[in-house]
Amino acid sequence: MSKALIDLEDIETWFPYKKTLTGKVTAWVKAVDGVTLKIFTGECLGLVGESGCGKSTLGRTILKLAPLKSGNLRFNGEEIQHLDDRGFQKFRPKMQMVFQDPRASLNPKMTVLQILSEALAICPEVDKKQYAKRATELMNMVDLRPEHLFRYPHEFSGGQQQRICIARALATQPEFLVFDEATSALDVSVQAQIINLMADLQKRLGLTYLFISHDLSIMEHICHRVAVMYAGRIMEIQDAHALFASPRHPYTKALRNAVPIADPTQKDGMAILKGEVPSLRSPPGGCRFHPRCPHATGHCRKEAPEVSPVKPGNWVRCHHHKDLWKRGTLGG
Amino acid sequence: MDMPSKTQQTPILGVEDLTVSFEGSRGVIKILEGIDFTLYSGEVLALVGETGCGKSVTAKSLLDLIPQFSRHRSGRVAFGGKDLLNLSSRELGRVRGRSIAMIFQNPQSSINPVFTLGEQMYRLIRMYLQNEIDVLCKQKKMNKKAAVHEIAQEKLAEVGLTEANRLLKSYAHEISGGMAQRYKIALALLSSPKILIADEATSALDVTVQAHVLKLLKEMSQKKGTAILFITHDLGIAAQICERVAVMYSGRIVEIGKTIDIFEEPLHPYTQGLLAAVPRLGNSDPLRFVSGMIPDLANPPQGCRFHPRCDHRMAVCSNQRPHYNAKDRDRSVACHLYTSKAAG
Amino acid sequence: MEMEIHDFKQLAQEALADHRKARGYNLRLFLKKKLAVVSALILVGIMLSAIFAPWVAPYPKQGQGAINLEERLQPFSNKHLLGTDIYGRDMLSRVIFGARVSVFGGFFIVIMAALIGVPLGLWAGYCEGASGAIIMRSVELVLSFPSALVAMGISIVVGAGSMTALIALVIPWWPWYTRLVQGEVLSLKNMLYIEAAQMLGYGRIYILFRHLLPNILTPVIVLMLLDVGPAIIAIGVLSFLGLGTQPPHADWGLMVWNGAQNLLGEWWIAIVPGFAMFLLVTAFNIFGDALKEILDPN
Repeated sequence: MSKALIDLEDIETWFPYKKTLTGKVTAWVKAVDGVTLKIFTGECLGLVGESGCGKSTLGRTILKLAPLKSGNLRFNGEEIQHLDDRGFQKFRPKMQMVFQDPRASLNPKMTVLQILSEALAICPEVDKKQYAKRATELMNMVDLRPEHLFRYPHEFSGGQQQRICIARALATQPEFLVFDEATSALDVSVQAQIINLMADLQKRLGLTYLFISHDLSIMEHICHRVAVMYAGRIMEIQDAHALFASPRHPYTKALRNAVPIADPTQKDGMAILKGEVPSLRSPPGGCRFHPRCPHATGHCRKEAPEVSPVKPGNWVRCHHHKDLWKRGTLGG
Repeated sequence: MDMPSKTQQTPILGVEDLTVSFEGSRGVIKILEGIDFTLYSGEVLALVGETGCGKSVTAKSLLDLIPQFSRHRSGRVAFGGKDLLNLSSRELGRVRGRSIAMIFQNPQSSINPVFTLGEQMYRLIRMYLQNEIDVLCKQKKMNKKAAVHEIAQEKLAEVGLTEANRLLKSYAHEISGGMAQRYKIALALLSSPKILIADEATSALDVTVQAHVLKLLKEMSQKKGTAILFITHDLGIAAQICERVAVMYSGRIVEIGKTIDIFEEPLHPYTQGLLAAVPRLGNSDPLRFVSGMIPDLANPPQGCRFHPRCDHRMAVCSNQRPHYNAKDRDRSVACHLYTSKAAG
Repeated sequence: MEMEIHDFKQLAQEALADHRKARGYNLRLFLKKKLAVVSALILVGIMLSAIFAPWVAPYPKQGQGAINLEERLQPFSNKHLLGTDIYGRDMLSRVIFGARVSVFGGFFIVIMAALIGVPLGLWAGYCEGASGAIIMRSVELVLSFPSALVAMGISIVVGAGSMTALIALVIPWWPWYTRLVQGEVLSLKNMLYIEAAQMLGYGRIYILFRHLLPNILTPVIVLMLLDVGPAIIAIGVLSFLGLGTQPPHADWGLMVWNGAQNLLGEWWIAIVPGFAMFLLVTAFNIFGDALKEILDPN
């Protein structure tokens, strides 16, 4: 097993929500509330969850774009959670992000060359005269024509704009990339192109990915392992195929069953999960999922479950997962 | 899934040769060109396609919700013995909301933020359900206000909203997306419309909430016999709740038929490409996609609009526009590969 | 799909040609609006006459103040196209020289207000916090006083004079720019491209000037153009009250004041400069609106 490139230990990212007049915070939005996981070099880890579960915040926390309240964050073994802007700057080229809305991610008043050069400028080893050449290489890498370097973002389609964003993310020769709903705003066929490009680049350049999405169907096409997030916590993390074929957490099963399958012969009926997605301001006590879980017991209401390992790199947070597994209520 | 035989189904909406174009800064933009389909009572028909295919414009054109400035429209939309495109705005106003209702993508933004949900619902109940109000007043000796409130509770319960009292006092921004969309469905069904148009109605909802709403729509359709025209880019939704599918590309319907036929044996090369690109749960094969890009509507390709991207293109494809191969609009494909064969 | 690029210059030129074609399209759109073209021509005409006043005015010395008592109070004639005032000075020349003060003054006020207001707005919008709060409270403070009174007060205290009036008018003027820019920045600062720049490690000043400023420039420029008119009128008002340009220099406001006494008889002495002001302000407004439509359809 390769070593962990990103190591998260008990990460908490809370945003202040209510303050007294003197500035003391009285209420928090607990977007990430105790996440521990490792992302191994060369893998693509999927992070799936519904809106408001904190997955985007988790991605941003790793890149220090969101305020980390407590916990340890390690990149390649080095602790980075305490570093200030200056100390962290040398890590920035190594970890980059591709955002959800490609149109909003590109400054409409800058040409593609300027956008790429801005990214290249933070690498001290790249000389200014090399920018044009390097930008051309990047355009080739994402299957765009170099002539487009002098165009403005609005002259491109959504798919092409996302390729430009990917090129920008690759400009600094990163080791780690976060894709935050990077294909959600794209059409089906364009999404397919981008996913294939991403998989290809990962193989060619030996990158490590964190792929955040609410779309389960796409996970297996690019991710090796997938983590399921709910109300600020990770509920389950398993190898991609195993997670969807045989989930061990009731929420994962509910999520999987809710996805409309593009096959009219498979109409098992979309299982309905009762209740609403919890607010991160006052998440349920005990196991976060207990108010909606069909198998919840009193124990679930009182105590939050610990991590139960299933396999190296695979674990689940549920008091009853062994029983549910034995009874076969979850699998299949 | 059982579908009533064709003879039992009555057509309630007939769209013939609907063409919509705009005069833009770069010339005439032909958004829709010759849209042809029939909607039968009680069925759920999906209108699927990617960005720029014109599916949303089609739906909005039926109720004349497209801004009129520099717009040209032709064709015929037969509904209830009249042509919707030829109605005066007053007559059309009577159709909208009453016989043909519509729900949109962002439910919270289509609820008036200034009034409570209750105020908006009561108004509609008084508009459409006078009979029921009178009946309740007589039978249960209620005053009008109480009767209206009771009807509201009943309708909300039908869509699965149980905390009616609290909900009716809330404002749009205080409720979740799922609740808002169910509320909008309740409103839409108040007048027992013959047709409900759902324009990407679940795209902004979480997947678990979406499952609720889709199931609800299906149930409502079966119980009340409302036909649903479901516009979506999600082929999964089409497969799960729609009986028939119409695939659109660049302003035209390229294929239409029963869902099961379209998915098992897609005829049009675009449909085939689309289905191959859809990511599937449980599948990790690399996704296949159609090369090229969606055409510029101001300068679309001649003949068949898909031909520059088509692996099977022939000479005729760049000259002539293909029409449906069968008179039966219910399983047809608009592609030259099939028109050379004997028409059905 | 590897492509070697040997000639960036050629690529850049091709792209530039395409962009010029797009801008050329905007120009054609502008030209289609006849009113906009007419207003643009009027503006150019007025500004050129103002710059070249000594050569354009038929009686330059009179324009600058020389008295010509034999020909006083004459209506429109072939010799004096717009008549003469109470000192016999040619009205046309006076108006042309008066344009200098008005046009220069209008631009001065608007540009200075923008130079002060825009950076403050950028800072207040992006950084917020204590400094942002101080800026916005100052904005509200200045705006709570009627601008005319503020300007008048300053002029009276410092001493009347055309330069003083201009500076005095900048004081109540800059807050509008700060407010506009702060609002724009507040909505833009959550854009993902700002976050992308933060992700690369760029600091606040860089983001303000490289990312935010270019994207708020359009509304600022439009405001500036639409503000020149009111600025010219404000200068006129101050001069009308004796706090701006001092006689014998030509100034439209002053001329209206001087001519007001003769309004019933020799009406042209007040109406001609008044109409000149009206023409200039309207031309700026129409031009500004047309420009806004072109620059802001996206």
